[in-house]
Amino acid sequence: MTSKLTFKKRLASSVVALSMALGPQAASAEEGVTFGVLVPLTGELGEFGKIVANGVQLAVNQINDEGGTSCGPIRTVVADTGGNPETGIREASKMIESESAVAILGPTSGVMVALADLAKRTETMLMSPYAGTITLNELGGDFVFRTVASDLGDGAVSGLWLEERGYKSVAFLIQNEESTISPAEIAKSAVEDAGIELTDYIVYNPGQPSYQAELISVLAHNPDAIYLAGGQNSSVTVIKEATAGGFEGEWLFTADLAVPEVFDLIGAELLNDRAFVEQADSDPSLPEYQAYSELHQSKTDGEDPGPFSANSYDMANLVALAMEASGECTGAGINSKIRDVAHEGDVVTTFAEGRAALQQGAEINYEGASGPVAFDETGTVTSPYTVSAAKDGVWVLEKFYPASTFIE
Amino acid sequence: MSILIAQYLVAGVVTGCFLIVATLGFSLTRQVEGFLNIAHAELLGISAFILWSLVNLAGWYFIPSAVIAVGITAVLGLFIGRVVYDPIRKFGPAVVLISSVGVAYVLGGGLDAVVGTGVRTMDIPLATSYRFFGVRITDYQMAVIAMAAVTGLSLALFMSKTTTGLTIRAMSDNPELAASRGIDVVKTSRATWLLSSGLAGLGGVSLALIATLSTDIAFQQILTIIAVAILAGLGSLYSVLIAGQVVGIAMDMSVLWLPAGYRPLIAFALVIVVLLVRPQGLSGKST
Repeated sequence: MTSKLTFKKRLASSVVALSMALGPQAASAEEGVTFGVLVPLTGELGEFGKIVANGVQLAVNQINDEGGTSCGPIRTVVADTGGNPETGIREASKMIESESAVAILGPTSGVMVALADLAKRTETMLMSPYAGTITLNELGGDFVFRTVASDLGDGAVSGLWLEERGYKSVAFLIQNEESTISPAEIAKSAVEDAGIELTDYIVYNPGQPSYQAELISVLAHNPDAIYLAGGQNSSVTVIKEATAGGFEGEWLFTADLAVPEVFDLIGAELLNDRAFVEQADSDPSLPEYQAYSELHQSKTDGEDPGPFSANSYDMANLVALAMEASGECTGAGINSKIRDVAHEGDVVTTFAEGRAALQQGAEINYEGASGPVAFDETGTVTSPYTVSAAKDGVWVLEKFYPASTFIE
Repeated sequence: MSILIAQYLVAGVVTGCFLIVATLGFSLTRQVEGFLNIAHAELLGISAFILWSLVNLAGWYFIPSAVIAVGITAVLGLFIGRVVYDPIRKFGPAVVLISSVGVAYVLGGGLDAVVGTGVRTMDIPLATSYRFFGVRITDYQMAVIAMAAVTGLSLALFMSKTTTGLTIRAMSDNPELAASRGIDVVKTSRATWLLSSGLAGLGGVSLALIATLSTDIAFQQILTIIAVAILAGLGSLYSVLIAGQVVGIAMDMSVLWLPAGYRPLIAFALVIVVLLVRPQGLSGKST
């Protein structure tokens, strides 16, 4: 929270300094343009929300430091949804109506779905770096975009991993939410096609103090591995209760547990050498990712970018570039060019490069820290995936699946 | 198969014991103060996080920390009762109920502001499993059962053997009559707030023992607490002991035959069925 405030202060002062330095200009350029950052800063997904807000702010600060956009410097307004769609609608409306935000960046799946209609009606760009819900496969593509792959990809990589690992029997424990059930269904098909015995397929409700009843059948079957697709709260309880109940097999988790905190919450000794986590992730060998990682470390006392950080950075850069390409400081302008700036043309990897190329009349193809970000017809990108292993109390990259693995 | 069924039964009994401790205070408030205190569940959360702070941050032992958490929660409940509910009680139970939703939001927001994001676990060892005739039970599950048994027994003794307990019972039976017979209504009300909030505090201790803590986990229990309270009906608190076990066992046994996602539905289906057959709930008095 402290770093966020520091960011805000720094941004505020840079906006003031820039307006003073630039002097008389067109009114719109002088006022700048507003991006709404709508993330969960509290609640179960609060850790992710902070990462996303910081990723966006890094991009915005970099853009402003390099002279801002042709619409002036970018100003951010941050609001906390707590992961709640109702709060999301209220805060987004406030951002659009009172703050004249041209883009709303960073909502989680449920909030994205709730905001899709508002975004289209008010012609505001709505973009998320981590909303994987398959509902957006229906709603996305016009004012609604995401710099992360659909959840279906998570299901595919999970199925592939469970098969490659050579398990003979697997149990599925899935939190009762659309975003966890959809990928689990894909993984389940893959497991069945591979001839692996599916001992249990249990969809549980989150928010329970205990999951002992749900675990009884799973523990009785003693599978080689448990595929656990749940939020942090339920997953931590499930893992502890299963271990206390005698489960000695391996685990495959979904992205909600891809944070270092799980080792403190669960105890590293329960996870080391037997737990894996899959997530849509950036290719760590990409020079663009490494450059971003260095930038992130230099601005955050040496912290590595967290999950979806690179996707958040790319999201802000893409929106700014689309605004440059359209020459309009509006959501409609951004929407008209957002696909073009990441499609065909000169490959650019930063906003400054892209702006320079656009000024020379070139077409551009932004490929950022998270890799290529060309949008399909549903406004979704194709992500690479990683599976990381729990080793000595940290997640260590175990296997990288390039985006091409899942393109049919 | 019989061991498997017994295993589900054990899980259900533990769930029931947690629900009993969580609901006793809620039912007590409903009987004496005459409204559904929605903020009761948030008091469980506050107690759980006080306990978490003392054990994890201050490094204290679990039991003294639990005593302090229960004590602070009891005093906080009394404070809220006096400052918020007492002045508006004259407007009727509906107004107080709605106000209690507001209190729940204030307490929840306060927890969010103090505790922050993410989830927390108690700094206590992983549960140890024991097997009796092939049926598994952990030490923490046994602790939850023991806590419910001791709470139920102590409350029964308190209500039947102490003057304060007897005045609370008189107030819950008929407040006007109790007042006319010289019972100090204000003092009894305060004792009730202390007791019911202290019971919420104990519920928070049970929660911290078995659950992973987040700022909203306690409030997520409110619907099941209400289900148990409605099933129990007005009247004796003993019906809460039965209702808690009925709901807990029914929810967990249902997983044997139905998808686990239907667990909460079972609790409310049970409430509807019982109320259709016996509108007064499990206790002898009408709601």
